[in-house]
Amino acid sequence: MQRDKFYKEIENVEHPNEKLIKTHCSYCGMQCGMNLRVNTMTNKIIGVEPRYDWPVTVGKMCPKGVTAYQQTNHDDRILRPLIRDDASLKGTKEGFREASWEEAYDLIAEKFGELQQNYGKDSLSVFSGVSMTNEKCYLTGKFARVALGTRYIDYNGRFCMSSAAGGFLRSFGVDRGSTLPWTDIHETDCLFIAGSNTAECHPTSMFRIWNVQERGGYIIVVDPRETPIARRADLHLDLKPGTDLALANGIVHLLIEKGYADEEFVNQHTNGFEETKELVRQFTPEYTSYLTGVAPEKIERAAEIYGKAPNAVVMFARGIEQQHKGVDNVSGYTNMALVTGKIGRPKSGVATFTGQGNGQGGREHGQKSDLLPGYRKITNPQHVQEVCNVWGITPEEMPKAGVSAYEMFELMDQKEIRGLYLLCSNPAVSAPNLNFVRNAMKNLDFMVCADFYLSESAEFADVILPSVTWSEDEGTVTNIEGRIIKINKAQEPLGESKPDWQMQVELAERLGKGENFAHLKTAKDVADEFRLASKGGSADYYGATWDKIEKQDGVFWPCKNDEDQGTPHMFLDKKFYHADGKAQICALPYRPPAEEPCEEYQLRLTTGRVVYHYLSGNQTRRIKFLKDMCPEPYVEVHPETAATYNMEHDERIRLYTRRGEAIYKVKVTEAIRKDTVFVPYHFGHEESINLLTIPALDPKSRMPEFKACAAQMQKLDPKKVL
Amino acid sequence: MKKRLYIELENCIGCRSCLAACTQCGGHEQRNRNYVYDVNPHVNRQTMPLMCLHCENPACARSCPAQAIQIHETGAVLSALVEKCIGCQNCTIACPYGIPKFDEEENLMYKCDLCIDRTKDGIPPMCASVCPSNTLQWLTEEEIEQKQQQHDLDNGKWVTSMPYLEGETNVKVNLPGILQGTEKLF
Ligand code: SF4
Ligand code: SF4
Ligand code: SF4
Ligand code: SF4
Repeated sequence: MQRDKFYKEIENVEHPNEKLIKTHCSYCGMQCGMNLRVNTMTNKIIGVEPRYDWPVTVGKMCPKGVTAYQQTNHDDRILRPLIRDDASLKGTKEGFREASWEEAYDLIAEKFGELQQNYGKDSLSVFSGVSMTNEKCYLTGKFARVALGTRYIDYNGRFCMSSAAGGFLRSFGVDRGSTLPWTDIHETDCLFIAGSNTAECHPTSMFRIWNVQERGGYIIVVDPRETPIARRADLHLDLKPGTDLALANGIVHLLIEKGYADEEFVNQHTNGFEETKELVRQFTPEYTSYLTGVAPEKIERAAEIYGKAPNAVVMFARGIEQQHKGVDNVSGYTNMALVTGKIGRPKSGVATFTGQGNGQGGREHGQKSDLLPGYRKITNPQHVQEVCNVWGITPEEMPKAGVSAYEMFELMDQKEIRGLYLLCSNPAVSAPNLNFVRNAMKNLDFMVCADFYLSESAEFADVILPSVTWSEDEGTVTNIEGRIIKINKAQEPLGESKPDWQMQVELAERLGKGENFAHLKTAKDVADEFRLASKGGSADYYGATWDKIEKQDGVFWPCKNDEDQGTPHMFLDKKFYHADGKAQICALPYRPPAEEPCEEYQLRLTTGRVVYHYLSGNQTRRIKFLKDMCPEPYVEVHPETAATYNMEHDERIRLYTRRGEAIYKVKVTEAIRKDTVFVPYHFGHEESINLLTIPALDPKSRMPEFKACAAQMQKLDPKKVL
Repeated sequence: MKKRLYIELENCIGCRSCLAACTQCGGHEQRNRNYVYDVNPHVNRQTMPLMCLHCENPACARSCPAQAIQIHETGAVLSALVEKCIGCQNCTIACPYGIPKFDEEENLMYKCDLCIDRTKDGIPPMCASVCPSNTLQWLTEEEIEQKQQQHDLDNGKWVTSMPYLEGETNVKVNLPGILQGTEKLF
C-alpha cells in the first residue's frame, strides 16, 4: 500500500508468553495504529507496542494512545448492570445496586413500554456517540427507529463534526472529511490550518506537518492562541474567536483581486463565483482586520503564500466549526481551494481534523436525527424505501426526522421526551449550558446509560448497562482521512460487560422486535448488514469488506463493490457530488458571534482540549499518567489582562457568563490574545467550563457556539479562598 | 547498521508522549527516565525533551564508586546494577544534565538505558518510536550525516553535540534553529 519516506521496516519486540494484537487507538480521529500486548497465560491486555507498519502513523502515538490500554482492566470498570431504585438520588453516584442482565432488561422494557403507552412512541430518545465502531453506530440508528420506533435519536457529533459535514455537503455535495490521504500532507507546499490546535489534538499529524517546513514549504495557522503549531508557523493569524468567516472572505477577496483565481477551473467545475466575488469585495484587508483583529499585512501575506503555492491544503477543526456560523466558516475557507482550483489532485485539497475516533463513519450511517445508513436522508422517500428493504419494515413504520442533540435536552425539559437511552457519550460534561442540560436529564422519567465507567452522565441514570472498551470487541472505524480501518478484539469482555450492539439486539427482543435483530449474532453479522444498508448511498461501504481492509491497510470510501479498491483522493475527475457535477463557491455574509463582549462581560471565552485528555475526560481522567500531567482545568490569561484584573499566576478566580460560573486557577501566558481567555473542557461537575458556554446553534448544523461567548473574571473574596 | 538516538529540539510540541512511552518499555516499572521542560511557560509554548545523551566518557559512571553503571557494547550507558548501587547519589550530581533519578525507597539510582532490550536488536527505543513530532528519531549514521549537512548553517551556529555539550555523546542533538538555513520553495 502507500509506503512513504517515513515508513521503516521494523520488527516488534516479542516478549515470552505474550502475543500482539494489531489494532488502533481508542481515541481521536487519527486512529494511530498500535499493537496491544496480551499475556497468553491470563489472556489479559498488559501493555502497548508501537505499530510501525501502519502507513499513516508509523508507530507514533500521543500519550493518550500510549496509555489507552490501561482502560480495559481498570478498577473503575462497571462489571454488572446497575439499578437505582431511589430516583431522588439522580445526579449523584449514590444508590446503585448490582443486578442481573435479565432484571435490567426487564425493567427497561417495562419502563420504556409504559412511557410509550402513555405518551406516545416519541416520548423515548436515544443519545449516542461516535467513539465506537461503524457497526455499533449503524445498529444504534436501527435500534432507535425499529426497536424503539422513536424519531428522537441524535449524537455527540453535533458537538463535534456537524458543521464540517454541513459545509462540505454544501460546497462539494458530499461529506468526506479529507479530500486526500494523510500521506500526502508532508508533500504539499503550503498548509493553511484554521482553528486546529493540531499539536495537542492530532499530535501524530505533526511529523508530516513539520516536514512541509523542512522542505521549504509554508505553514499558516489561524488561532486566537499561540498554540505549539502556531509558535513555529511561518505566519500566525491571531484572530478574535468567532470571526473566521470575515478572515476567510478577506482572503478569498485577495486571492481573486491579486489574480490567483483559476478561471478555467472556476468556469468548468464550480458555481457561485460571481456572487461570491461581489460579496467578498467589501472584505478589504483593512475591514477584515477591523473585524478579526489580525494585522492587514498578515492577511495579505497569507493570501499571497496560499495563492502562489503550487500545491496547498486548507485544513480546519473545531475552532472554526464550533460556532453558530460553523457551516459558513467551513464553506468560507473551502472557497479558498475552489477559487484557486487547489483541489481534486494529489497534495492539494481540503480536510477537517476529525475529532472523535469514528467521527467520520459515525455520522454517515444513521445516528443523526435526519440521516439513514449510507448518508441517506430520512426525508427522501426513495432513501427510506431502500433502507426499509434491508431492515424489514415498511416506510410507514419509519419514524420521521427528529431534532439535534441540544434540542433533545430542550424537549426533555418540556417533558416531550421522557425517556433516554444514552450510550458512548457524556453530555453532562460535553453539552453547552450545562445547568440547563443537567437539569433536563434529572427531570427524565427514566434513563438508561450504557458505559464502561460511571460517567458524570451515568449519575443521572436509573439503569446503567456495562459496555465494553474498544479492545474487547471488533469492527470498523473510519479515520480522519475517510479510510475504513479495522479494530480488533484483544481480550474477552471484563466481568459481565457486553458490546453495545449485543445489548441492543437483546433489548430489541424484549421490546418485541426480535425478528429484525435476532439474526445479528456477531459483530461480523452487523458489519455485513451494515455494508448492505450503505450500498448505493453516497457513503457507500459495500465493497469495504474486513478482508479488503486487512489486505489494503484500510479502504477509503466510497468503495462500491468487490473490484473497487476505494477512493484515497476525492474528485480526481473534477466531478463533485452536486447534481450538475460542480462544486459550489459560496457567497457568505458575515455575522459576528452570537454574544459579543460588553460592559458587563468584557472578555471572549473560548474552549478546547489539552493533549492529555480526550473529550469529556471520562476515560482519560482515570489514567494515572494523564491525570498527573493535567489534573484540573485552568484559565489561560494574557499577563496584561491578568494585571488589569489584579490577578496572579496560580490564583483561583471566578469566571462567569450569563449562564453559569466556575472557579479556576489562572495560568498566565503571553500565548493568547489579550481580549480572550481559554479553558479546557475535559472536566466534570463544578469544574466544567460548559456550565458557562452558550447554546447558540448554527442554523444548519445545529452546532453550539462552544468557541466564543462573552465572559467576565472576578477575584475571589480573600477570606473565602482559604 | 549502527543507529543512534537523534534529537531535533525545534520539533518538540510538548506532548510528553516520550515520558508516557518510557514507562512502557519492559523492565521500566512504569517509571519514566526522561524529562520534558517548558522552556519559558509564561511566554510561549516552547518545550524540550531532556534525555540521557549516553556520553562516550560518562561522568555518571566515572563518579560511581561501586562501578554500578555499566556501559553496554552498543555504547548505551546503563541504569545502575541493583546489586552494586550503594545509593550514594554521586551520579546524580556528576551528570552535567541531571539525568539519573533516585528512588528514595529502594535507595537506588535509575536512569535511561536507551531501552537496551530493544536497541541491542536494532529496534528503536520506546520514546523515539512514539514521538509524534519526530523530535526523537532513531537514525543510521548516514541519516545523521545527512541531517548535519542539511542543517549546517555555515555560521558556526549549529549542529550536533560538540562544542555545546560537555563531551562527545552517542546521542546527537540538533539545537533549535534548524529552519534558519532552509531555502523556501517559492
Ligand atoms: S489520541 Fe489520537 S493522536 Fe493520540 S494516539 Fe490516539 S489516535 Fe493517535
Ligand atoms: S514525545 Fe516528542 S514532541 Fe512529545 S514531548 Fe517528547 S520529545 Fe517532545
Ligand atoms: S547524560 Fe548524564 S546520565 Fe547520561 S551518560 Fe552522560 S553523564 Fe551519564
Ligand atoms: S531510550 Fe528508553 S529508557 Fe531512555 S528515555 Fe527513551 S524510552 Fe526511556
